Amino acid sequence: MSTIIVDKIAKSFGATQAVKDVSFEVRPGEIFGLLGPNGSGKTTSIRIILDIYQPDSGSVTILDGPMTNDKLNHIGYIPEERGLYQDVPLDRCLTYLATLKGLTEEQIKERLPKYLAKFDLTDHAKKKSKELSKGMQQKAQLIAALIHDPEIIIIDEPFSALDPVNTQLVKDLLLEQRNAGKTIVMCTHQMNQVEQLCDRLVLIDHGQVLLQGELSEIRDRFRTNEVIIDALNPLPEQINGVSKIEQLNDAYRLTPQEGLSAHDLLNQLVAQGIELNSFEVAVPTLDEIFIRVVKEGNGFHE
Amino acid sequence: MNKTIDVARYEYLHHVANKRFWLSLIGVPLGFILIFVASMVLSFLSFDTRPVGIVDNANLIQIEPDNTQKSTIFDTQIHLYVYPDESAARAAASADEIQGFAVIPEDYASRFELTYWTNKQPGNDVQSAIANFISRNLMVAENIDSAVLKRVNEGSAVSLQSLDGSQTSDGTGWHRIIVPVVIGMLNFIVVMSSGGYLLKALVEEKENRTIEIMLTSVPSREIMAGKIVGNLGVGLTQIAAWIILLGIAGFLFRDRLGFLADINLSGSYLAISVALMILSFLFTAALMATIGAAMTSTEESQGIIGLMVLPMMFPFYFFTVFLNSPNGILARVLSFIPLSAPLALSLRMAFSSVSPLEIAGVFVVIISFSLLMFWLAGVVFKRGMLQYSKRLSLKEIFSKETRNA
Repeated sequence: MSTIIVDKIAKSFGATQAVKDVSFEVRPGEIFGLLGPNGSGKTTSIRIILDIYQPDSGSVTILDGPMTNDKLNHIGYIPEERGLYQDVPLDRCLTYLATLKGLTEEQIKERLPKYLAKFDLTDHAKKKSKELSKGMQQKAQLIAALIHDPEIIIIDEPFSALDPVNTQLVKDLLLEQRNAGKTIVMCTHQMNQVEQLCDRLVLIDHGQVLLQGELSEIRDRFRTNEVIIDALNPLPEQINGVSKIEQLNDAYRLTPQEGLSAHDLLNQLVAQGIELNSFEVAVPTLDEIFIRVVKEGNGFHE
Repeated sequence: MNKTIDVARYEYLHHVANKRFWLSLIGVPLGFILIFVASMVLSFLSFDTRPVGIVDNANLIQIEPDNTQKSTIFDTQIHLYVYPDESAARAAASADEIQGFAVIPEDYASRFELTYWTNKQPGNDVQSAIANFISRNLMVAENIDSAVLKRVNEGSAVSLQSLDGSQTSDGTGWHRIIVPVVIGMLNFIVVMSSGGYLLKALVEEKENRTIEIMLTSVPSREIMAGKIVGNLGVGLTQIAAWIILLGIAGFLFRDRLGFLADINLSGSYLAISVALMILSFLFTAALMATIGAAMTSTEESQGIIGLMVLPMMFPFYFFTVFLNSPNGILARVLSFIPLSAPLALSLRMAFSSVSPLEIAGVFVVIISFSLLMFWLAGVVFKRGMLQYSKRLSLKEIFSKETRNA
């Protein structure tokens, strides 16, 4: 049974159709990527899932039913627009937010110091949020989202404004949570992070689903017969069996002629005396798939 | 419900633990005390308390002036010195020993006219000191009993009673004005400070984006209820602290505050005033929540608060209308407007008789307005609180999408 089922939700604000017939499912224990360009309807979809907005039509099933007050305690959420009470000491702010997630005073006293230590914030617990760096505030947000040990973690643009060290920390944390059986919805447009973390994804643009499925399956679907080679010497302008040669930074992308397999192409190159350092079948990056799908605006549905 | 209590507790402790709260708690009464003391001192200093001379050419004076009491900041006493003739009095005036002198002419008994010699306009206290002294001597001359003399000097006590018997007053008047004014001021302070805290909290949560986390932890109606209860608690704490301070001050200065015993507040008057104050706060809180959700910054919302003060202060602006015509159209209309109702009805009940039916009508209207405002706050809250960079327009507030948000 899926943890979250979004079924044909639609939402408009005035003349703007923010989301239209969006459907997808998030399975237990996976990292699910909710992708799309800015203004594509990702945040509206998240807010509908979280019951902040009521959809004009369609429905959301979460943890086997509609959203309830009790279920809010089982969700950890980090919105894109990060925020903490600026004039309040960090520990008091986190205590309050944890209280709102249903934790008792004793539970908070037991858990908060551990999380502060884990995120290297113990020495900053008494500082006001406004005195903390942006990275520290991000980490504090993560504590607020995790301290109540939620079943579902929804995180909007998890890596925005993070330095490489903190980016790695968040990545490790998300993987750790997934390994602990938590369901994670990651809303982003940073495709390299999605490639490293997500099991499945949905791509939304202009409020509509353009693409969804498992990451490996999507890659296969967009795979071509192109190859990337690293040659020891410059390539001749014409190579038998190759219809197009494109120079990359320190390699070449070769498009074989119709009906020629990668294996046949390799044989052709060797036969023509081209010395190779490496030869690999080109797999489209998620970035390339993203750009292609969004530009074309076609539906490549599962 | 539990989260409503959590939100209320946080709001309450957050404000009560803040320096601003304590500054306001101490600063407001201190400000009032300083203004009161300063005005009393200035007033005292502006009074000319030098003695006044009396020259009795009519042989009217039978008893000596009573110069035993001294002037205080609360009560000025003008001492009277009797001089044998006009030249002696004039010499004393020239030497600045007295501020002026009254000459009682020989034919005073037939004309009741006298002349007061001075270089400056005498105050009422000088005129009444001379008039009382002459009256006492005239009555002594007529062998009038001293007890009667005392009663005449004190004047009559007039008691007022409304035609239907529902309202009474001893008619001395000053506390008929001061009580509703104090209630109005307390209401104004509670509503504006608590409402201001609420508005500030909402706008800040919108500015610092914490509201989105709140909304995924607590249903919006519980957030709203918690904030209203917490901030009302802050206002009521202020009032309670001031009442305790007043009580302590009253105990310390009990010898000088005997006049407060004149105040006779009925239980129903107090109950109606307090109930109206709480209803008015609830209406204002919902109004502030609506504004807070629709605005994008604290500065923007401050301007709106300024506009809200106007209707709250209307009864003060039209105070003489309330005094002269407490059941006139203007006074009645202001009694039915939620922002002005607490002070308006409080003044009308103090100055006249307001029928129970009309009081009930005021309550029905204010409760209805409050419920309407809460509904509006609820729908605007969900839509507006997440619209970070753009102010919610009136058209958007009343749109179908906002109602369905």
